[in-house]
Amino acid sequence: MGTENPGRPNFPMTASPFAAAPPPTTTPFSASGPVVGSEASGFRPQAQPPQNTMPSMSSGPVAGPQASGYRPNNLPARFNDPPVSSPPAAYAPPIGGPPFQRYPTPQFPSVHQIPPPRAPPIGQPPFQPPAGQVPSPASFHPQPQAHAVPMGSPPSRASDLQLPSDSSSFAPRANFQPPFSSMDSSYSAPRANLQPPLPGYVKQANSVSQAPPMAPFQAQQGSYAAPIPTPPPPYHPQQGGFSQPPPIAAPFGLHSRDQIQHPGSAPPIGGIQGLAEDFGSLSIGAVPGTIDSGLDPKALPRPLDGEAESNLLGEAYSMNCNPRYLRLTTSAIPSSQSLLSRWHCPLGAVVCPLAEAPEGEEVPVINFVSTGIIRCRRCRTYVNPYVTFTDSGRKWRCNICALLNDVPGDYFAQLDATGRRIDLNQRPELIKGSVDFVAPTEYMVRPPMPPLYFFLIDVSVSAVRSGMIEVVAQTIKSCLDELPGYPRTQVGFITFDSTIHFYNMKSSLTQPQMMVVSDLDDIFVPLPDDLLVNLSESRPVVEAFLDSLPSMFQDNVNMESALGPAVKAAFMVMSQLGGKLLIFQNTMPSLGVGRLKLRGDDLRVYGTDKEYALRIPEDPFYKNMAAECTKYQIGVNVYAFGDKYIDIASLGALAKYSGGQIYYYPSFQSASHGEKLRHELARDLTRETAWEAVMRVRCGKGIRFSSYHGNFMLRSTDLLALPAVDCDKAYGAQLSLEETLLTSQTVYFQVALLYTASCGERRIRVHTAAVPVVTDLGEMYRHADTGAIVSLFARLAIEKSLSHKLEDSRSSVQLRIVKALREFRNLHAVQHRLGGRMIYPESLKLLPLYGLALSKSAALRGGYTDVQLDDRCAVGFTMMALPVNKLLKLLYPSLLRVDEYLLKPSSQTDEFKNIMKKLPLTAESLDSRGLYVYDDGFRFVVWFGRMLSPDLAMNLLGQDAAVEFSKVALGKHDTEMSRKLMGVLRKLRERDSSYYQLCNLVRQGEQPREGFLLLTNFVEDQIGGTSGYSEWMVQIHRQVQQSA
Amino acid sequence: MDLGFLYMVQLFCISEEVKMVKMTMIARVTDGLPLAEGLDDGRDVKDAEMYKQQVKALFKNLASGHNDASRMSVETGPYVFHYIIEGRICYLTMCDRSYPKKLAFQYLEDLKNEFERVNGAQIETAARPYAFIKFDTFIQKTKKLYQDTRTQRNIAKLNDELYEVHQIMTRNVQEVLGVGEKLDQVSQMSSRLTSESRIYADKARDLNRQIELDYRIACCKA
Repeated sequence: MGTENPGRPNFPMTASPFAAAPPPTTTPFSASGPVVGSEASGFRPQAQPPQNTMPSMSSGPVAGPQASGYRPNNLPARFNDPPVSSPPAAYAPPIGGPPFQRYPTPQFPSVHQIPPPRAPPIGQPPFQPPAGQVPSPASFHPQPQAHAVPMGSPPSRASDLQLPSDSSSFAPRANFQPPFSSMDSSYSAPRANLQPPLPGYVKQANSVSQAPPMAPFQAQQGSYAAPIPTPPPPYHPQQGGFSQPPPIAAPFGLHSRDQIQHPGSAPPIGGIQGLAEDFGSLSIGAVPGTIDSGLDPKALPRPLDGEAESNLLGEAYSMNCNPRYLRLTTSAIPSSQSLLSRWHCPLGAVVCPLAEAPEGEEVPVINFVSTGIIRCRRCRTYVNPYVTFTDSGRKWRCNICALLNDVPGDYFAQLDATGRRIDLNQRPELIKGSVDFVAPTEYMVRPPMPPLYFFLIDVSVSAVRSGMIEVVAQTIKSCLDELPGYPRTQVGFITFDSTIHFYNMKSSLTQPQMMVVSDLDDIFVPLPDDLLVNLSESRPVVEAFLDSLPSMFQDNVNMESALGPAVKAAFMVMSQLGGKLLIFQNTMPSLGVGRLKLRGDDLRVYGTDKEYALRIPEDPFYKNMAAECTKYQIGVNVYAFGDKYIDIASLGALAKYSGGQIYYYPSFQSASHGEKLRHELARDLTRETAWEAVMRVRCGKGIRFSSYHGNFMLRSTDLLALPAVDCDKAYGAQLSLEETLLTSQTVYFQVALLYTASCGERRIRVHTAAVPVVTDLGEMYRHADTGAIVSLFARLAIEKSLSHKLEDSRSSVQLRIVKALREFRNLHAVQHRLGGRMIYPESLKLLPLYGLALSKSAALRGGYTDVQLDDRCAVGFTMMALPVNKLLKLLYPSLLRVDEYLLKPSSQTDEFKNIMKKLPLTAESLDSRGLYVYDDGFRFVVWFGRMLSPDLAMNLLGQDAAVEFSKVALGKHDTEMSRKLMGVLRKLRERDSSYYQLCNLVRQGEQPREGFLLLTNFVEDQIGGTSGYSEWMVQIHRQVQQSA
Repeated sequence: MDLGFLYMVQLFCISEEVKMVKMTMIARVTDGLPLAEGLDDGRDVKDAEMYKQQVKALFKNLASGHNDASRMSVETGPYVFHYIIEGRICYLTMCDRSYPKKLAFQYLEDLKNEFERVNGAQIETAARPYAFIKFDTFIQKTKKLYQDTRTQRNIAKLNDELYEVHQIMTRNVQEVLGVGEKLDQVSQMSSRLTSESRIYADKARDLNRQIELDYRIACCKA
């Protein structure tokens, strides 16, 4: 690629931003892309991601911020310089190495185009590292040239200039072009070509326009400003977008083109400097009356750089628990209700008390039994790192209610000169945000219960035919050794069709005895004992049962299902101990209490006010039963199968209100779906589970949790009853403020989960976090956590869909996003002439995208015909329980191109990393010569391009390559490529084992499978009347402006 | 597989007659820390909570050292607590009054032997409640053996003359739980007695003198 240009020297610092961008690899950026705002420092570099077209606008200076924002984490100073890139960052991912790889560098040159303003590149030096990661580094260099270019801005010019320089710079352009294309035909062509490869760059290109002039502003949108040679770290990048005003007055971004061309925009720069805000902007150039939005799709922010962990608070709150356990929607609590009312996003938290910790970060277990656990005697807060000791160590002050408590004699320790306890380092509870206390007897109403798994298995004819019984029996048997809690673990089984079958598993028997109860109206338990047995004692009987279960019912022709009575029977057997009830249901319950009828086939209901009724349980039996179960510490997990409607809305209530989970396998056939069931059931049986738990979240005076969202039952106003909870479950909660102003500087949150571990130890897991109180709305935006906000949005929207039309749910999401952005715009409109730019906080740059993805998710999408009712309900139930990262992945799945990786002779691990470059979720990302993997955390879709080399397909599929793909399962073949592909899939699965991604193969153009498997999930595209990403942004932008 | 299909029409409830052992608890005497407990204790006991509270009070009582008998039966309502204390561990079970005392104590002996064998070394260092909860499976198993008094095995045990339980004291729960309080009362009463007897002595002396005086006066008058 082009090496450094002469220009470089000039802008040493600046370049970096770009670089970063392109190489998604660079961690700092990438992270930022998604997250944004991370910087601790006030400056956040904003991300101005979207500048796209705008670049010209202006303000070169502006650009810088974004980048800086990201960087802040690592290298504050440098970041500033780079500023711009951030937006790009988002894209960058796509850009990632892969693209480059594909296209020979030479190609780029051709592209030339616009010398992408990469000015930012300037910064290169700093970035270089990143660059290095990406093959592209060289490309960055070119940027300097870009600088020059930017000035020239006109694309044409740019091209000229650049040609010599780096291809990389071009690349970006390419991206841009697409958007523009409408505008300029000439460009478009070239761009098109490029696009696929370099989506990421685009942004940079945008920046170009900006201006080099700005040198002083480094930050600015990376693109423009970037150039700024000087390292004036102080300026954070502002968003270039804003400044722009000068260039194009036009409200609508259209400028983009023009502006770009005119480097002139620079002028604005001066003004910009002042901005230290962190916000991103996007020029929306739609010409009034035209359909085309002048928005450069490539420049839109996207979460392509991997998971964004927010850690906005940095050092000051380093003792906070890890965000994997507790994420607030903003790490800045408003001091008054009036301030809160201007923050239109939800204020609240997403709690995942048992999130899996990576090795080495396990939560320490502390035994306080001899002294008793130290708690505030008024508000019952547990001792934590934020309490303060006074009076020579004899008293401690509660950080939540400020009460002065006595330190018990056994816990006393002297204070040193700074007021710290001298034994601080031996007290994990005083230095760590997350600890497990061993609970003394006061925390027990009974001895710790043993882990208990009860299986309720449908054996009606459809269950037999689908092969479900066999898979379930085999899986349970294979997991017997790994069930937690040996040697206390208890198990029991009931099977049912039109009657209920109990099994006596007494350890002295060699074969289980079956007892059949056919009186469904008056269920009784035929044996007092031995229906629930100790696994270690009755192991041979249990195994004999599981071995014979599939054959026992193989000739069963009973079509009925008495689920309700069977659940009651299971409840009676389990009620003494509690535990986990796993229900395997293959047909709609047809007998006894809780029988359901076919509904949802009446098209007339859809779109009416009664439509929501189909999404809630038909029969109150299910909710009542769940409430009973919760009371007796029984958590229900529902595994639903079946090729027809089985009313997940009703069945799911069992799991929803007992803290369980719903697994849905539509049209289950053991041959094709068995692996998924096997994996997920095994995970359910073997993951560490907390039994008979209750959870409460405490917070400081003046605020309180007003509502909770997720799968659980409330035992009192703020106590969540969770009979069986595990690492895959998260709970959302919303906060409200009391009348009075918050006067304290800091608010504390404490999550306490009292539970019984599988080993029989009763424990209290405590997570503590401190958050500053702010009086400025800007601070709230700066510290916003998009992931947590999206998670609460999703929960609220799904709940709303249970009482309103889907459309209302969707529009409420959109409305809240619009309101939030409008408020933000108002915040800045006065200072900066914004023209037609859309601005948003750097921290929320992905919010519109996730909002769009949410309204296109299976839970909320379209109407009757778009998603099967059962699918919709199942996804809704699942989303209500998903931890933040998994939800984000489901909303914006990753799309990877793998053919190049497979074709390369041998692979090493870093190459493997290179292929993990996510592409924007749009059909434009697909190249018909490529092979792509789509992964949403629940399934894979492997997409074979039409022009993919037949050789590759043969290698992967063997003889199956020519067959209809719907019948082909991807299996291992003895070829290098097949092994590599399986390796990729395995790695993707290992990233998160809570669900198993089953592999679907689809060929380009193979309808309708390609449509429903893949295309409908491309959230950035316009599908079936929904807006694409650009249209959505334009819509939001217009709405923001309308009432601004 | 040869599974007998038993169609059961009526619930036959064996539990009432057969489940004689209602509850089993093992605790450390020194501090009353519960170490293990039967799995589904109190399943068909009405007011199980109340009885559990009584057991806790009893353990507390033991910790304070008021009862030093190593074997004792304590009647409460329709049930009896039997306990043995050995090696600073208290093994306690609650049975129906009709359940043979002899079997109950043999049951506790069985538990004790196994518990010492398995956990002996760690008992003193146990630092959390129910540290030996895993022992509940053994309790469960053993309890079943003793459940039915009519089995050959249990009849044999009943007839075993070697194990003598007659001298084990039986008291009432109120009496036992109130024992601490009563001791206090006794000492209070005795001290009151002392002081009152002193007063009596004084008064008696006065009276005597008075009488003598009266007598003399009378004599004089006479």
